[in-house]
Amino acid sequence: MTPRSPPAGLGGLPKPSISTGRHTLVEAELVASVGWLIRLRWMAGAGVLLATWVVGAVFRLHAPAGPLYIIGASILLYNLIFYLRERRLAQASAPAGAFSRLAMWQVTLDWLAMTLLIHFSGGIESPAILFFIFHIVIASIFFPPRTAFAFALLAAALLSGTALLEFYALLPHEPVGGFLEHPLYQNGLYVVAVLFFFTSTGLFAVYLAASIHARLRRREEEIVGLSESLRRATARLQTLNEGARAVGSTLDLPEVLNRLVKSTAEVMGVRACSIRLLDKSGRLEPVAVYGLSQAYLDKGPIEVDINPLAREVLSGKIVNIPDAPSSPLIQYPEEARQEGIRSVLSAPLVGKSGPLGLLRVYAVEPDRFTPDDETFIAAIAAQGSIAIENAMAYQAMEALDVAKSQFVRRVTHELRSPVSVTRTLLRTLAGGYAGDISAQQRDILNRSTRRVDFLQKLIDDLLDLAAGKTDLSLREKREPVALGAVVEKVVRRFEAPAREKGLTLDCRKEAGEAAIMVTATVDSLDRIFDNLLSNAVKYTPSGGRVTATLSHADGEARVLVEDTGIGIPEDAMGHLFEEFYRAPNAKEIESEGTGLGLAIVKDLVTRLGGRVAVQSCPDKGTRFIVALPVAAGGEGPAARAEGSP
Amino acid sequence: MSTKRILIIDDDPDMRLALRLPLEAAGYAVSEAKCVAEGLAAVKQVKPDLIVLDVMMDSTTAGFQVALDVHSPDPKSEFKDFRETPILILTAIHTTTPLRFTPDEDYLPVQVFLEKPIDPEMLLAMVRKFLEK
Repeated sequence: MTPRSPPAGLGGLPKPSISTGRHTLVEAELVASVGWLIRLRWMAGAGVLLATWVVGAVFRLHAPAGPLYIIGASILLYNLIFYLRERRLAQASAPAGAFSRLAMWQVTLDWLAMTLLIHFSGGIESPAILFFIFHIVIASIFFPPRTAFAFALLAAALLSGTALLEFYALLPHEPVGGFLEHPLYQNGLYVVAVLFFFTSTGLFAVYLAASIHARLRRREEEIVGLSESLRRATARLQTLNEGARAVGSTLDLPEVLNRLVKSTAEVMGVRACSIRLLDKSGRLEPVAVYGLSQAYLDKGPIEVDINPLAREVLSGKIVNIPDAPSSPLIQYPEEARQEGIRSVLSAPLVGKSGPLGLLRVYAVEPDRFTPDDETFIAAIAAQGSIAIENAMAYQAMEALDVAKSQFVRRVTHELRSPVSVTRTLLRTLAGGYAGDISAQQRDILNRSTRRVDFLQKLIDDLLDLAAGKTDLSLREKREPVALGAVVEKVVRRFEAPAREKGLTLDCRKEAGEAAIMVTATVDSLDRIFDNLLSNAVKYTPSGGRVTATLSHADGEARVLVEDTGIGIPEDAMGHLFEEFYRAPNAKEIESEGTGLGLAIVKDLVTRLGGRVAVQSCPDKGTRFIVALPVAAGGEGPAARAEGSP
Repeated sequence: MSTKRILIIDDDPDMRLALRLPLEAAGYAVSEAKCVAEGLAAVKQVKPDLIVLDVMMDSTTAGFQVALDVHSPDPKSEFKDFRETPILILTAIHTTTPLRFTPDEDYLPVQVFLEKPIDPEMLLAMVRKFLEK
């Protein structure tokens, strides 16, 4: 018997296109079966050796032990070779053909061994004949039915050949001595009967095994197909899920788009995917592309007005084009042909206020996309639309923020500049530098100056407040600042006005408190305490006292600004930090005031991560408490040594 | 004592007027320039004893460029003769600079910031401090 090369091997097997790594699932089964057969054969070889010994030693029969031991040992030997070969093939991830050839060699050698075993255990009289049926069943598992039937007939022929050669004494009969009282190998009727039953049993075994196996294989193919579609469905779900996560995880528009095109193309198993977004001029500009050549992208603009496909998709339809180069809907059919694109599936990206653009997948096969694909791309597009819209909204918001800051800066300059020039001019005039002025003129000039000065204060406060609401830089520019130094500087600024008014102005801090650092900007701290001290000095009558006290406790730096002034009426307390609010008793004392100072204080303190509180008693005084978080490592050693209360 | 020359560099004519009047009233010879280029040319031509300079002109920091050029430490600078010429730099309020000098202070840098609006008395006090030291 000569080994044949593979056509009979896998030739008859269906070839599933689905691949799991190196082998298809059916091929993987063959690979596994080869290993299984090798494991069985260890037992078969050992079984022959053991049986030979048992026959002689236990049953005291006289079998030709020599040849039988040789057969058993040979089986083990060639199985060792198969084992090593199989391991090498498995390690090298060899193609299925190599395994198929290995299977053929195994069956061939097994049959040779089987025939010899039968011959040396009595030929037609051998009870081992039945073992041949196992081999026939194994062959039926490995090979397609026709090959298996051929093997069954071959087995019959081998057995018949052996029997006939022995019958005519052309081959010596090798009986197991003591097994049969009367030899049967020259009993023609017996020989014919055994051969007949053997052949028919073999053929029937092939038929049974083949039909069961065929049914199993069909089932298996169905399972393979199902698991494949499950895998695809899972991948698609994953893409949808990733899309959903992209919505939440990033607001960076290019990132969102790139993730979307890549995962869509991969999951749908297509050549390319692109997203085009509508620009203001009605063109669809590619914003994210996966798998298309630059040449194809440069083919020309897609203008909605003249592109029938784009119009149809943007109207909300999924459009499936089975053959792009010949479709009248395609604006650039020749370029599509050169790019190798056949099927094109397009879905609209729709935002809350109308179409945003389109999502498109391209395949090299004609008529590639199924209704399932259409449903899938519709889901992707719907989800993508949300992600894109969120990212666009975020982008617009950021741009708006920048524009707002720029606007505020510009307005700041434009408003302040004329007012400050006017103030300078008025002072020059009032100073008599443009000629002498009468007492009445001076009075008018002073009134004008006061009003313009107030206008300047109002503009400054308003713009400070507006800048505070838009200016993101306060956070970025923060650094550890010595709080005590800033407070002292501001207090010094009010020494002269306080003296003029007959007030006692104090700045109190315990040793070491000056070293308290807070994370802030010098300017913002200056503005906070300038506003508080200016109020305190303004609303404290002559002979009173204004005190700024610095302390710290529980990781907080505190500045108390206390006065013995007019105090704040009970019903004004709740409105104190509102913009433009001024307490009635404050208005009585000082008719002009923007009502913005405390709003600015509150805004700045809050943005520095602190708190501001107020306690007041009408006609007795007011106390403002500003608490700011101490900067990491910002408590001086002296401060720490004194400890917290 | 010869009349001291003062150069005002400011793009705003009203501001120049407001500055010129008190300076002239105090007896100084005042020249004007209305932009950076004109100002630098005028420095060489007028050879001022003191410069009053606006920060915001062609750009928001144009004035600083003038100050940098005039006070350049480069020995080959075309303005090396004016390295010691004091400059009063006018800034808008709130474009805060940590340097706030008053005429009472002993140390007098060669550049001093004045916040707008400019009080003529303050301006004159400052100018006197520089020119009569």
